[in-house]
Amino acid sequence: MRRAFDLLLAVAAGIALAFLLLPILALFLRISPQALIEALGSEVAVDALWVTVKTGLIAHAFVLAVGTPAAYFIGTRRFRGRDVVISLIELPLVLPPAVAGIALLTLLGRRGLLGESFSALGIEIGFTQTAVVLAVAFVAAPFYVRQGIAAFESVDTSLMDASRTLGASPARTFRRVALPLAATGLGAGSALAWARGTGEFGATIMFAGSFQGVTQTLPLATYAQLDLDRDVAIAIGALLVLVSGTVLVSVKLLPSWTRLTSLSLIRSEPSASR
Amino acid sequence: MRSVFALALVALALVSGCGGDARAEPGDGLDENLNVFAAASLTEVFEELAPNVRFNFAGSDELATQIREGAPADVYAAASPRYPDELLAEELVEEPQIFATNRLVLVVPSDNPAAIESVDDLRADGTKLVVGAEGVPVGDYTRTVLENMGATDVLESVVSNEDDVKGVVGKVASGEADAGFVYVTDYNAALEDLQAIELPEDAQAVVEYPIAVVSDSENREAADTFVELVLSDEGQQALEDAGFGPP
Repeated sequence: MRRAFDLLLAVAAGIALAFLLLPILALFLRISPQALIEALGSEVAVDALWVTVKTGLIAHAFVLAVGTPAAYFIGTRRFRGRDVVISLIELPLVLPPAVAGIALLTLLGRRGLLGESFSALGIEIGFTQTAVVLAVAFVAAPFYVRQGIAAFESVDTSLMDASRTLGASPARTFRRVALPLAATGLGAGSALAWARGTGEFGATIMFAGSFQGVTQTLPLATYAQLDLDRDVAIAIGALLVLVSGTVLVSVKLLPSWTRLTSLSLIRSEPSASR
Repeated sequence: MRSVFALALVALALVSGCGGDARAEPGDGLDENLNVFAAASLTEVFEELAPNVRFNFAGSDELATQIREGAPADVYAAASPRYPDELLAEELVEEPQIFATNRLVLVVPSDNPAAIESVDDLRADGTKLVVGAEGVPVGDYTRTVLENMGATDVLESVVSNEDDVKGVVGKVASGEADAGFVYVTDYNAALEDLQAIELPEDAQAVVEYPIAVVSDSENREAADTFVELVLSDEGQQALEDAGFGPP
Protein backbone atom coordinates (compact mmCIF):
# COMPACT_ATOMS: atom_id res chain seq x y z
CA MET A 1 0.00 0.00 0.00
CA ARG A 2 2.62 2.43 1.10
CA ARG A 3 4.96 1.31 -1.62
CA ALA A 4 2.29 1.86 -4.26
CA PHE A 5 1.74 5.36 -2.93
CA ASP A 6 5.45 6.10 -3.01
CA LEU A 7 5.63 4.79 -6.53
CA LEU A 8 2.81 7.09 -7.55
CA LEU A 9 4.61 10.05 -6.03
CA ALA A 10 7.85 9.11 -7.78
CA VAL A 11 6.04 8.84 -11.12
CA ALA A 12 4.53 12.30 -10.62
CA ALA A 13 7.96 13.70 -9.78
CA GLY A 14 9.37 12.07 -12.92
CA ILE A 15 6.64 13.54 -15.11
CA ALA A 16 7.16 16.98 -13.62
CA LEU A 17 10.91 16.82 -14.18
CA ALA A 18 10.56 15.61 -17.77
CA PHE A 19 7.94 18.24 -18.52
CA LEU A 20 10.19 21.01 -17.25
CA LEU A 21 13.47 19.81 -18.70
CA LEU A 22 12.60 18.34 -22.09
CA PRO A 23 11.87 21.67 -23.83
CA ILE A 24 15.20 23.03 -22.63
CA LEU A 25 16.99 19.88 -23.69
CA ALA A 26 15.35 20.11 -27.12
CA LEU A 27 16.69 23.63 -27.50
CA PHE A 28 20.23 22.39 -27.04
CA LEU A 29 19.71 19.34 -29.24
CA ARG A 30 18.47 21.45 -32.15
CA ILE A 31 21.81 23.10 -32.70
CA SER A 32 25.35 21.71 -32.79
CA PRO A 33 27.92 23.17 -30.37
CA GLN A 34 29.94 24.62 -33.26
CA ALA A 35 26.89 26.28 -34.81
CA LEU A 36 25.99 27.59 -31.36
CA ILE A 37 29.35 29.24 -30.86
CA GLU A 38 29.35 30.55 -34.43
CA ALA A 39 25.87 32.01 -34.03
CA LEU A 40 26.81 33.61 -30.73
CA GLY A 41 29.62 35.37 -32.54
CA SER A 42 27.15 37.01 -34.94
CA GLU A 43 26.83 40.76 -34.77
CA VAL A 44 23.22 40.64 -33.61
CA ALA A 45 24.04 38.35 -30.70
CA VAL A 46 27.10 40.32 -29.61
CA ASP A 47 25.22 43.63 -29.79
CA ALA A 48 22.31 42.18 -27.85
CA LEU A 49 24.60 40.72 -25.21
CA TRP A 50 26.28 44.10 -24.79
CA VAL A 51 22.96 45.95 -24.49
CA THR A 52 21.67 43.37 -22.01
CA VAL A 53 24.77 43.49 -19.79
CA LYS A 54 25.03 47.26 -19.84
CA THR A 55 21.37 48.01 -19.11
CA GLY A 56 21.30 45.13 -16.62
CA LEU A 57 24.25 46.48 -14.65
CA ILE A 58 22.85 50.00 -14.47
CA ALA A 59 19.38 48.79 -13.52
CA HIS A 60 20.86 46.46 -10.92
CA ALA A 61 23.02 49.15 -9.35
CA PHE A 62 19.91 51.29 -9.07
CA VAL A 63 17.90 48.44 -7.56
CA LEU A 64 20.59 47.66 -4.97
CA ALA A 65 21.25 51.29 -4.05
CA VAL A 66 17.61 52.15 -3.42
CA GLY A 67 16.25 48.70 -2.66
CA THR A 68 18.61 47.83 0.20
CA PRO A 69 17.83 50.80 2.48
CA ALA A 70 14.15 50.55 1.53
CA ALA A 71 14.07 46.86 2.45
CA TYR A 72 15.92 47.62 5.71
CA PHE A 73 13.39 50.27 6.64
CA ILE A 74 10.36 48.12 5.87
CA GLY A 75 11.95 44.99 7.32
CA THR A 76 12.95 46.44 10.68
CA ARG A 77 10.27 49.07 11.41
CA ARG A 78 6.69 48.50 12.42
CA PHE A 79 4.28 51.09 11.10
CA ARG A 80 0.68 51.34 10.06
CA GLY A 81 -0.02 50.14 6.55
CA ARG A 82 3.19 48.12 6.42
CA ASP A 83 1.44 45.08 4.98
CA VAL A 84 -0.12 47.24 2.32
CA VAL A 85 3.27 48.70 1.42
CA ILE A 86 4.74 45.21 1.08
CA SER A 87 1.87 44.09 -1.12
CA LEU A 88 2.26 47.15 -3.33
CA ILE A 89 5.96 46.44 -3.76
CA GLU A 90 5.12 42.90 -4.80
CA LEU A 91 2.49 44.00 -7.32
CA PRO A 92 4.82 44.20 -10.33
CA LEU A 93 5.77 40.56 -9.65
CA VAL A 94 2.35 39.37 -10.71
CA LEU A 95 1.78 41.99 -13.39
CA PRO A 96 1.80 40.67 -16.97
CA PRO A 97 4.91 42.13 -18.68
CA ALA A 98 2.89 43.81 -21.41
CA VAL A 99 0.86 45.59 -18.74
CA ALA A 100 4.11 46.73 -17.15
CA GLY A 101 5.05 48.17 -20.54
CA ILE A 102 1.76 50.02 -20.92
CA ALA A 103 2.01 51.27 -17.34
CA LEU A 104 5.49 52.68 -17.97
CA LEU A 105 4.24 54.29 -21.19
CA THR A 106 1.29 55.95 -19.51
CA LEU A 107 3.66 57.42 -16.93
CA LEU A 108 6.78 58.18 -18.95
CA GLY A 109 5.69 58.02 -22.58
CA ARG A 110 5.52 61.20 -24.63
CA ARG A 111 1.89 61.67 -23.70
CA GLY A 112 2.35 60.17 -20.26
CA LEU A 113 1.65 61.63 -16.85
CA LEU A 114 5.27 62.72 -16.32
CA GLY A 115 6.55 62.06 -19.82
CA GLU A 116 4.65 65.00 -21.26
CA SER A 117 6.52 67.44 -19.01
CA PHE A 118 9.82 65.67 -19.64
CA SER A 119 9.12 65.86 -23.35
CA ALA A 120 8.52 69.59 -23.08
CA LEU A 121 11.93 69.89 -21.43
CA GLY A 122 13.49 67.98 -24.29
CA ILE A 123 13.94 64.76 -22.33
CA GLU A 124 12.56 61.79 -24.21
CA ILE A 125 12.84 58.34 -22.72
CA GLY A 126 11.08 56.14 -25.27
CA PHE A 127 13.36 54.15 -27.64
CA THR A 128 16.49 54.86 -25.55
CA GLN A 129 18.60 52.66 -23.31
CA THR A 130 17.19 54.61 -20.39
CA ALA A 131 13.83 53.10 -21.27
CA VAL A 132 15.36 49.61 -21.21
CA VAL A 133 16.98 50.30 -17.82
CA LEU A 134 13.65 51.53 -16.41
CA ALA A 135 11.75 48.54 -17.77
CA VAL A 136 14.32 46.11 -16.36
CA ALA A 137 14.46 47.83 -12.98
CA PHE A 138 10.66 47.97 -12.78
CA VAL A 139 10.19 44.25 -13.24
CA ALA A 140 13.32 43.14 -11.36
CA ALA A 141 13.27 45.38 -8.27
CA PRO A 142 10.37 43.64 -6.49
CA PHE A 143 12.34 40.37 -6.46
CA TYR A 144 15.18 42.04 -4.61
CA VAL A 145 13.15 44.24 -2.26
CA ARG A 146 10.81 41.43 -1.27
CA GLN A 147 13.69 39.10 -0.48
CA GLY A 148 15.52 41.96 1.26
CA ILE A 149 12.58 42.70 3.56
CA ALA A 150 12.44 39.05 4.58
CA ALA A 151 16.20 38.98 5.12
CA PHE A 152 16.22 42.05 7.38
CA GLU A 153 13.13 40.82 9.23
CA SER A 154 14.93 37.63 10.17
CA VAL A 155 17.96 39.43 11.61
CA ASP A 156 17.96 38.87 15.38
CA THR A 157 16.89 42.24 16.79
CA SER A 158 18.77 41.64 20.05
CA LEU A 159 22.03 41.83 18.09
CA MET A 160 21.05 45.21 16.67
CA ASP A 161 19.87 46.39 20.10
CA ALA A 162 23.18 45.31 21.57
CA SER A 163 25.03 47.25 18.92
CA ARG A 164 22.98 50.37 19.67
CA THR A 165 23.40 49.92 23.45
CA LEU A 166 27.12 49.70 22.97
CA GLY A 167 27.05 53.06 21.29
CA ALA A 168 27.12 52.35 17.57
CA SER A 169 25.20 54.80 15.44
CA PRO A 170 22.13 53.55 13.54
CA ALA A 171 24.08 53.81 10.29
CA ARG A 172 26.97 51.81 11.73
CA THR A 173 24.57 49.19 13.12
CA PHE A 174 23.03 48.88 9.66
CA ARG A 175 26.39 48.55 7.96
CA ARG A 176 28.22 46.36 10.46
CA VAL A 177 25.45 44.18 11.92
CA ALA A 178 22.27 44.10 9.86
CA LEU A 179 23.86 44.06 6.43
CA PRO A 180 26.27 41.14 7.03
CA LEU A 181 23.56 39.11 8.75
CA ALA A 182 21.10 39.70 5.92
CA ALA A 183 23.72 39.14 3.23
CA THR A 184 22.53 35.66 2.29
CA GLY A 185 18.98 36.72 1.64
CA LEU A 186 20.07 39.90 -0.10
CA GLY A 187 22.42 37.93 -2.33
CA ALA A 188 19.69 35.50 -3.31
CA GLY A 189 17.28 38.36 -4.01
CA SER A 190 19.92 40.15 -6.01
CA ALA A 191 20.58 37.09 -8.17
CA LEU A 192 16.88 36.48 -8.79
CA ALA A 193 16.34 40.13 -9.68
CA TRP A 194 19.27 39.94 -12.09
CA ALA A 195 17.86 36.82 -13.74
CA ARG A 196 14.40 38.35 -14.08
CA GLY A 197 15.88 41.55 -15.49
CA THR A 198 17.95 39.65 -18.03
CA GLY A 199 14.89 37.81 -19.27
CA GLU A 200 12.70 40.92 -19.45
CA PHE A 201 10.79 41.09 -22.74
CA GLY A 202 7.28 42.53 -22.74
CA ALA A 203 7.84 45.81 -20.99
CA THR A 204 11.01 46.45 -22.98
CA ILE A 205 9.49 45.86 -26.42
CA MET A 206 6.51 48.08 -25.57
CA PHE A 207 8.37 50.88 -23.85
CA ALA A 208 11.79 50.89 -25.49
CA GLY A 209 11.15 49.29 -28.88
CA SER A 210 13.70 47.06 -30.56
CA PHE A 211 16.79 48.43 -32.27
CA GLN A 212 20.00 46.49 -32.66
CA GLY A 213 22.81 47.89 -30.54
CA VAL A 214 20.53 50.33 -28.70
CA THR A 215 17.45 48.74 -27.19
CA GLN A 216 17.52 45.19 -28.53
CA THR A 217 18.30 42.97 -25.55
CA LEU A 218 18.92 39.22 -25.78
CA PRO A 219 15.25 38.23 -25.33
CA LEU A 220 14.18 40.74 -27.99
CA ALA A 221 16.93 39.53 -30.32
CA THR A 222 15.98 35.88 -30.01
CA TYR A 223 12.41 36.78 -30.94
CA ALA A 224 13.41 39.02 -33.84
CA GLN A 225 15.87 36.46 -35.21
CA LEU A 226 13.23 33.72 -35.43
CA ASP A 227 12.33 34.84 -38.96
CA LEU A 228 15.82 35.80 -40.09
CA ASP A 229 18.26 33.23 -38.75
CA ARG A 230 16.85 30.50 -36.57
CA ASP A 231 20.30 29.28 -35.57
CA VAL A 232 21.04 32.66 -34.03
CA ALA A 233 17.62 32.69 -32.34
CA ILE A 234 18.23 29.25 -30.84
CA ALA A 235 21.80 30.13 -29.88
CA ILE A 236 20.68 33.25 -28.02
CA GLY A 237 17.96 31.21 -26.36
CA ALA A 238 20.53 28.66 -25.24
CA LEU A 239 22.76 31.44 -23.93
CA LEU A 240 19.87 32.81 -21.87
CA VAL A 241 19.28 29.34 -20.43
CA LEU A 242 22.94 29.13 -19.41
CA VAL A 243 22.83 32.59 -17.82
CA SER A 244 19.65 31.77 -15.90
CA GLY A 245 21.06 28.40 -14.86
CA THR A 246 24.22 30.02 -13.54
CA VAL A 247 22.18 32.51 -11.52
CA LEU A 248 20.08 29.72 -10.05
CA VAL A 249 23.10 27.65 -9.04
CA SER A 250 24.76 30.66 -7.44
CA VAL A 251 21.60 31.37 -5.45
CA LYS A 252 21.73 27.80 -4.15
CA LEU A 253 25.42 27.98 -3.31
CA LEU A 254 25.27 31.46 -1.82
CA PRO A 255 23.82 30.55 1.62
CA SER A 256 26.61 28.16 2.58
CA TRP A 257 29.22 30.57 1.31
CA THR A 258 27.96 33.75 2.97
CA ARG A 259 27.14 32.03 6.24
CA LEU A 260 30.82 31.44 6.64
CA THR A 261 31.91 34.91 5.64
CA SER A 262 29.28 36.82 7.61
CA LEU A 263 30.00 34.86 10.77
CA SER A 264 33.72 35.41 10.42
CA LEU A 265 33.04 39.10 9.80
CA ILE A 266 31.34 39.42 13.15
CA ARG A 267 33.86 37.28 14.98
CA SER A 268 36.88 38.99 13.55
CA GLU A 269 35.59 42.38 14.64
CA PRO A 270 34.57 42.03 18.26
CA SER A 271 35.01 45.77 18.70
CA ALA A 272 32.85 46.59 15.71
CA SER A 273 30.10 48.06 17.83
CA ARG A 274 32.22 50.39 19.84
CA MET B 1 -5.31 5.41 -1.76
CA ARG B 2 -8.52 5.54 -3.68
CA SER B 3 -8.57 9.30 -3.48
CA VAL B 4 -5.05 9.45 -4.85
CA PHE B 5 -6.17 7.48 -7.85
CA ALA B 6 -9.20 9.66 -8.25
CA LEU B 7 -6.92 12.67 -8.19
CA ALA B 8 -4.64 11.11 -10.78
CA LEU B 9 -7.64 10.39 -12.97
CA VAL B 10 -8.87 13.94 -12.68
CA ALA B 11 -5.40 15.20 -13.57
CA LEU B 12 -5.26 12.86 -16.53
CA ALA B 13 -8.65 14.01 -17.71
CA LEU B 14 -7.56 17.62 -17.45
CA VAL B 15 -4.35 16.97 -19.35
CA SER B 16 -6.05 15.11 -22.15
CA GLY B 17 -8.73 17.79 -22.28
CA CYS B 18 -6.07 20.39 -22.98
CA GLY B 19 -4.65 18.50 -25.90
CA GLY B 20 -7.34 19.74 -28.24
CA ASP B 21 -9.64 17.17 -29.68
CA ALA B 22 -8.68 15.24 -32.73
CA ARG B 23 -12.26 14.39 -33.49
CA ALA B 24 -12.73 13.59 -37.15
CA GLU B 25 -16.18 15.07 -37.07
CA PRO B 26 -15.68 18.27 -39.04
CA GLY B 27 -19.14 19.77 -39.01
CA ASP B 28 -19.98 22.34 -41.65
CA GLY B 29 -19.96 25.31 -39.29
CA LEU B 30 -17.05 27.63 -38.81
CA ASP B 31 -16.62 27.14 -35.09
CA GLU B 32 -13.90 27.12 -32.48
CA ASN B 33 -12.60 23.78 -33.78
CA LEU B 34 -11.16 25.58 -36.77
CA ASN B 35 -7.73 27.14 -36.20
CA VAL B 36 -6.97 29.96 -38.59
CA PHE B 37 -3.47 31.42 -38.48
CA ALA B 38 -3.64 34.86 -40.04
CA ALA B 39 -1.42 37.90 -40.50
CA ALA B 40 -1.96 40.59 -37.88
CA SER B 41 -3.24 43.02 -40.53
CA LEU B 42 -6.26 40.74 -41.11
CA THR B 43 -7.44 40.89 -37.49
CA GLU B 44 -10.47 43.16 -37.84
CA VAL B 45 -11.85 41.83 -41.11
CA PHE B 46 -11.45 38.13 -40.29
CA GLU B 47 -12.98 38.46 -36.85
CA GLU B 48 -15.96 40.15 -38.41
CA LEU B 49 -16.24 37.57 -41.17
CA ALA B 50 -16.14 34.48 -38.94
CA PRO B 51 -16.55 35.47 -35.30
CA ASN B 52 -16.60 31.92 -33.90
CA VAL B 53 -13.44 30.61 -35.50
CA ARG B 54 -10.33 30.32 -33.35
CA PHE B 55 -7.86 32.84 -34.74
CA ASN B 56 -4.17 33.18 -34.11
CA PHE B 57 -3.10 36.60 -35.35
CA ALA B 58 0.62 37.39 -35.51
CA GLY B 59 3.38 38.30 -37.95
CA SER B 60 3.19 36.06 -41.04
CA ASP B 61 6.77 34.92 -40.44
CA GLU B 62 6.04 33.97 -36.86
CA LEU B 63 2.98 32.00 -37.96
CA ALA B 64 5.10 30.17 -40.54
CA THR B 65 7.54 29.22 -37.77
CA GLN B 66 4.69 27.95 -35.62
CA ILE B 67 3.31 25.85 -38.50
CA ARG B 68 6.79 24.42 -39.16
CA GLU B 69 7.01 23.45 -35.50
CA GLY B 70 3.71 21.62 -35.83
CA ALA B 71 1.20 24.06 -34.37
CA PRO B 72 -2.37 22.85 -35.01
CA ALA B 73 -3.29 25.21 -37.83
CA ASP B 74 -5.99 24.48 -40.39
CA VAL B 75 -5.72 27.60 -42.54
CA TYR B 76 -2.82 29.98 -43.07
CA ALA B 77 -3.44 33.50 -44.40
CA ALA B 78 -0.28 35.57 -44.83
CA ALA B 79 0.58 39.14 -45.72
CA SER B 80 3.19 38.02 -48.22
CA PRO B 81 3.50 35.12 -50.68
CA ARG B 82 7.00 34.44 -49.36
CA TYR B 83 6.08 32.30 -46.38
CA PRO B 84 3.18 30.34 -47.94
CA ASP B 85 5.46 29.60 -50.90
CA GLU B 86 8.18 28.37 -48.56
CA LEU B 87 5.69 26.21 -46.70
CA LEU B 88 4.31 24.91 -50.02
CA ALA B 89 7.81 23.83 -51.02
CA GLU B 90 8.09 22.01 -47.71
CA GLU B 91 4.67 20.42 -48.38
CA LEU B 92 3.28 21.90 -45.19
CA VAL B 93 0.48 23.80 -46.92
CA GLU B 94 -1.49 23.28 -50.10
CA GLU B 95 -1.52 25.57 -53.13
CA PRO B 96 -1.99 29.14 -51.84
CA GLN B 97 -4.54 31.46 -53.50
CA ILE B 98 -4.23 35.23 -53.56
CA PHE B 99 -7.36 36.67 -51.93
CA ALA B 100 -6.52 40.34 -51.43
CA THR B 101 -3.95 43.05 -52.00
CA ASN B 102 -2.84 45.91 -49.85
CA ARG B 103 -0.63 48.96 -50.08
CA LEU B 104 1.55 50.90 -47.72
CA VAL B 105 0.96 54.37 -46.33
CA LEU B 106 3.06 56.55 -44.10
CA VAL B 107 1.18 57.26 -40.89
CA VAL B 108 1.74 59.93 -38.24
CA PRO B 109 -0.06 60.52 -34.93
CA SER B 110 -3.28 62.53 -35.34
CA ASP B 111 -1.60 65.67 -33.93
CA ASN B 112 1.49 65.07 -36.10
CA PRO B 113 4.00 66.39 -33.54
CA ALA B 114 6.95 66.29 -35.93
CA ALA B 115 5.00 68.07 -38.69
CA ILE B 116 5.66 65.38 -41.27
CA GLU B 117 4.06 65.98 -44.68
CA SER B 118 6.09 63.67 -46.89
CA VAL B 119 8.67 60.91 -46.85
CA ASP B 120 11.36 63.56 -47.30
CA ASP B 121 10.46 65.09 -43.93
CA LEU B 122 11.49 61.84 -42.24
CA ARG B 123 15.12 62.82 -42.77
CA ALA B 124 14.89 65.67 -40.24
CA ASP B 125 17.14 65.27 -37.21
CA GLY B 126 15.49 63.63 -34.23
CA THR B 127 12.59 62.17 -36.18
CA LYS B 128 11.43 58.95 -34.58
CA LEU B 129 10.49 56.53 -37.32
CA VAL B 130 9.20 53.05 -36.54
CA VAL B 131 9.14 50.30 -39.17
CA GLY B 132 8.65 46.56 -39.39
CA ALA B 133 11.82 44.54 -38.91
CA GLU B 134 13.55 42.93 -41.85
CA GLY B 135 12.03 39.52 -42.53
CA VAL B 136 8.60 40.73 -41.37
CA PRO B 137 6.47 41.39 -44.50
CA VAL B 138 5.57 44.98 -43.65
CA GLY B 139 9.24 45.64 -42.95
CA ASP B 140 10.37 44.14 -46.24
CA TYR B 141 7.69 46.06 -48.17
CA THR B 142 8.73 49.27 -46.45
CA ARG B 143 12.29 48.77 -47.61
CA THR B 144 11.09 47.96 -51.16
CA VAL B 145 8.99 51.13 -51.34
CA LEU B 146 11.84 53.27 -50.03
CA GLU B 147 14.18 51.70 -52.57
CA ASN B 148 11.68 52.42 -55.33
CA MET B 149 11.58 56.04 -54.16
CA GLY B 150 15.37 56.23 -53.86
CA ALA B 151 14.90 57.19 -50.22
CA THR B 152 16.48 54.37 -48.23
CA ASP B 153 18.45 56.95 -46.25
CA VAL B 154 15.31 57.80 -44.24
CA LEU B 155 15.89 54.46 -42.51
CA GLU B 156 18.55 56.30 -40.52
CA SER B 157 15.68 57.82 -38.54
CA VAL B 158 14.44 54.40 -37.45
CA VAL B 159 14.31 54.02 -33.67
CA SER B 160 12.60 50.63 -33.54
CA ASN B 161 12.23 47.59 -35.80
CA GLU B 162 8.92 46.05 -34.79
CA ASP B 163 8.06 42.38 -35.02
CA ASP B 164 4.69 42.93 -36.66
CA VAL B 165 2.60 45.70 -38.16
CA LYS B 166 0.51 46.14 -35.00
CA GLY B 167 3.72 47.06 -33.19
CA VAL B 168 4.27 49.90 -35.66
CA VAL B 169 0.64 51.06 -35.45
CA GLY B 170 0.73 50.98 -31.64
CA LYS B 171 3.89 53.05 -31.34
CA VAL B 172 2.62 55.71 -33.76
CA ALA B 173 -0.99 55.76 -32.51
CA SER B 174 0.23 56.25 -28.93
CA GLY B 175 2.36 59.16 -30.07
CA GLU B 176 5.60 57.53 -28.95
CA ALA B 177 6.91 57.57 -32.51
CA ASP B 178 6.60 60.39 -35.04
CA ALA B 179 5.86 58.21 -38.05
CA GLY B 180 5.69 54.65 -39.33
CA PHE B 181 4.99 52.66 -42.47
CA VAL B 182 1.88 50.47 -42.24
CA TYR B 183 -0.75 48.95 -44.51
CA VAL B 184 -3.59 51.27 -45.52
CA THR B 185 -5.95 48.77 -43.85
CA ASP B 186 -4.28 49.31 -40.49
CA TYR B 187 -4.74 53.00 -40.96
CA ASN B 188 -8.44 52.44 -41.71
CA ALA B 189 -8.74 50.54 -38.43
CA ALA B 190 -7.23 53.38 -36.40
CA LEU B 191 -8.55 56.52 -38.07
CA GLU B 192 -8.98 58.38 -34.78
CA ASP B 193 -5.34 58.12 -33.78
CA LEU B 194 -3.61 58.36 -37.12
CA GLN B 195 -3.18 60.56 -40.17
CA ALA B 196 -2.09 58.95 -43.39
CA ILE B 197 0.27 60.26 -46.04
CA GLU B 198 -0.12 58.51 -49.37
CA LEU B 199 2.95 57.14 -51.09
CA PRO B 200 3.56 57.52 -54.85
CA GLU B 201 1.62 54.91 -56.81
CA ASP B 202 4.61 53.86 -58.91
CA ALA B 203 6.73 53.22 -55.82
CA GLN B 204 4.23 50.87 -54.20
CA ALA B 205 5.27 47.31 -53.48
CA VAL B 206 3.03 44.48 -54.62
CA VAL B 207 1.44 43.40 -51.35
CA GLU B 208 -0.41 40.16 -51.97
CA TYR B 209 -2.27 38.12 -49.37
CA PRO B 210 -2.31 34.38 -50.03
CA ILE B 211 -4.48 31.90 -48.16
CA ALA B 212 -3.81 28.16 -47.99
CA VAL B 213 -5.16 25.07 -46.27
CA VAL B 214 -2.57 23.48 -44.00
CA SER B 215 -1.66 19.96 -45.23
CA ASP B 216 -1.98 18.38 -41.79
CA SER B 217 -5.36 19.95 -41.11
CA GLU B 218 -7.66 17.68 -39.16
CA ASN B 219 -10.55 19.91 -40.02
CA ARG B 220 -10.32 19.90 -43.75
CA GLU B 221 -13.94 20.56 -44.63
CA ALA B 222 -14.24 23.54 -42.35
CA ALA B 223 -10.87 24.78 -43.59
CA ASP B 224 -12.10 24.64 -47.20
CA THR B 225 -15.32 26.36 -46.16
CA PHE B 226 -13.33 29.18 -44.57
CA VAL B 227 -11.17 29.65 -47.67
CA GLU B 228 -14.31 29.68 -49.84
CA LEU B 229 -15.88 32.26 -47.53
CA VAL B 230 -12.85 34.54 -47.85
CA LEU B 231 -12.94 34.21 -51.66
CA SER B 232 -16.74 34.60 -51.87
CA ASP B 233 -18.52 37.86 -52.67
CA GLU B 234 -19.28 38.29 -48.98
CA GLY B 235 -15.64 37.86 -48.02
CA GLN B 236 -14.39 40.10 -50.78
CA GLN B 237 -16.88 42.81 -49.80
CA ALA B 238 -15.69 42.70 -46.18
CA LEU B 239 -12.08 42.94 -47.34
CA GLU B 240 -12.92 45.84 -49.61
CA ASP B 241 -14.73 47.62 -46.76
CA ALA B 242 -11.60 47.26 -44.67
CA GLY B 243 -9.55 48.89 -47.41
CA PHE B 244 -8.00 45.86 -49.08
CA GLY B 245 -7.64 45.81 -52.84
CA PRO B 246 -8.98 43.01 -55.08
CA PRO B 247 -6.61 40.10 -55.83
